[in-house]
Amino acid sequence: MIETFFGADQLDTPRAMLAALLIGLAFGFVLERAGFGSSRKLAGIFYFRDMTVLRVMFTAVVTAMLGLAFAFASGWVAPDQVYALPTVYKAQIVGGLLFGIGFVISGWCPGTAAVGAACAKWDAVAFLLGTTLGAVAFNELFDILQRLGIVPGAHTGEVIGEPSEPLVAFGMSPALFALLFTAVAIAAFHAAEWVEKRVGGGGKYLGSPVLKALSIALAICAAALFILPDPLDAPAAPAAGLAHVELLHAIETAQDHLEPEELADRLVAGGQELVVVDVRPPAEYAAFHIRGALNISLPDLPEALEPYRNRGLIVLYSNGMTHPAQARDALARLGFTNAYLLTDGLQGFIERCLKPVSLRSEPLPPDEAAKVRTWRAFFLGNESAPAAAPAGKAPSSTSDNLPALVTTQ
Amino acid sequence: MSQLTEGDRGPAAYANPYLSGVLLGLTLLASYLILGAGLGASAGTARLGAFVEQCLAPAHVAESAYFGRWVEGGRSILYYYLVFMFVGVFLGGLLSAVLASRIRPGVERGRAFGAAPRLLLALGGGLIAGFASRLANGCTSGQALSGGAMLLNGSLVFMACVFVGGYAAAWFVRRQWHD
Repeated sequence: MIETFFGADQLDTPRAMLAALLIGLAFGFVLERAGFGSSRKLAGIFYFRDMTVLRVMFTAVVTAMLGLAFAFASGWVAPDQVYALPTVYKAQIVGGLLFGIGFVISGWCPGTAAVGAACAKWDAVAFLLGTTLGAVAFNELFDILQRLGIVPGAHTGEVIGEPSEPLVAFGMSPALFALLFTAVAIAAFHAAEWVEKRVGGGGKYLGSPVLKALSIALAICAAALFILPDPLDAPAAPAAGLAHVELLHAIETAQDHLEPEELADRLVAGGQELVVVDVRPPAEYAAFHIRGALNISLPDLPEALEPYRNRGLIVLYSNGMTHPAQARDALARLGFTNAYLLTDGLQGFIERCLKPVSLRSEPLPPDEAAKVRTWRAFFLGNESAPAAAPAGKAPSSTSDNLPALVTTQ
Repeated sequence: MSQLTEGDRGPAAYANPYLSGVLLGLTLLASYLILGAGLGASAGTARLGAFVEQCLAPAHVAESAYFGRWVEGGRSILYYYLVFMFVGVFLGGLLSAVLASRIRPGVERGRAFGAAPRLLLALGGGLIAGFASRLANGCTSGQALSGGAMLLNGSLVFMACVFVGGYAAAWFVRRQWHD
């Protein structure tokens, strides 16, 4: 998974500035290599004289489009890691038409003019001066444009409109759109070669190995997109969705529970890595708690239990089961695979493990009765009391603190 | 690096356009995967314009509806990743041009067309393009290339409109290229 500067909210850090500078360096280098430091070459596309702009631009768009679609579909980068420019139709239609007019009048666009200026083309410098003035003019006319309804009324960000979703493609599946776009681009390349040849002298890449190889490679990549899951469904959803299904399955099969008897046995046996957590308020914890339990409030659980993440056994309990169950689910979502909750809570523990044999409505088999006596001695005796303390001889100070132990029924 | 002779403007001197396109596409992809944002150029010159206006009338820029958003937070208008990218584009172009011995100062135009009117057309076209790229939130780099690769509806519409506008106006300014 890639974390981008934008995704990490660090697009305004010095490191991002350096990265942008280096990417710009590559951008400018490639533009100059392609011949975009020349306005005559750039304007050529509008007179069918030199279709280089079409070749370079559409090859670049298709290459990046397929690359991005693969990056999204394979989960390499999540869609929320990339900034998607807002879609503001009116502004982009008017802006696009005007931009095309400005482009053909000047023979430049901003990126190529930066390269042209580097090549000491004074018309590129004049163009860049014009664009700064145009931006100032836009700022001055902003209110009027809003009143005309070309610019949306609410303007809150650094750009017009609200960020949009990536890979919208007019509601088409991204793979289908990319395939159609690739097909149109390949057809346009061949048409451009043909047109150039007819208008005069150009079209020298028609039938060339490079164009053939590129056409085949792009077509294969575009078709391969259909094998991969939908780019927008692929990234975060499957992993998280699977975890939720597993979680719900664990709940259904009661794998998230630990029975009071088992907890009691494990505690009496000792020796294992077992963390018992009492999530009740401190006052209730002070009144009575399962021997050895820690008192941790719900919000503190993830941090306090971090040392025990997937080590040993974590058992959560409260009086009932609601809060521990919710807390266990939260911990499971955080990646704890060893968190359990105590079935029937502390009330169940007292009822099933600590209730004196003599007070039970049904008589217990002798072995179970012996167990209850052991548990009572362990959990109700003071911490140093031997496990084999005689039944029913728990210190009165502790049993006095036991709420509702005798009066439950 | 091919040494260019005077008057040689043929495509032979330049890199294969399809290979250039693939490299440009990979640069754009790298921008998305590293920065998390596409390429951009017009924001660089627009911020330069805002910066100059701020030097002349700081209070006016601070309270203006569009540029005002760029001065919030107290940072310099020029401290923005696309300004650095713009500087990078200039330097990258310079590096490539030096390596290819393609730096030849002059005003590019048809032989039958004067330098002064050509500069005026470039300035005027720049004014329109600068205004339009603010209106559309980007230019050929930010919208057509970057937004198009992300399959953004608005960017794809923008791309189509650029060609419609360009072809519609091409006839009127054809003379500047007549030899």
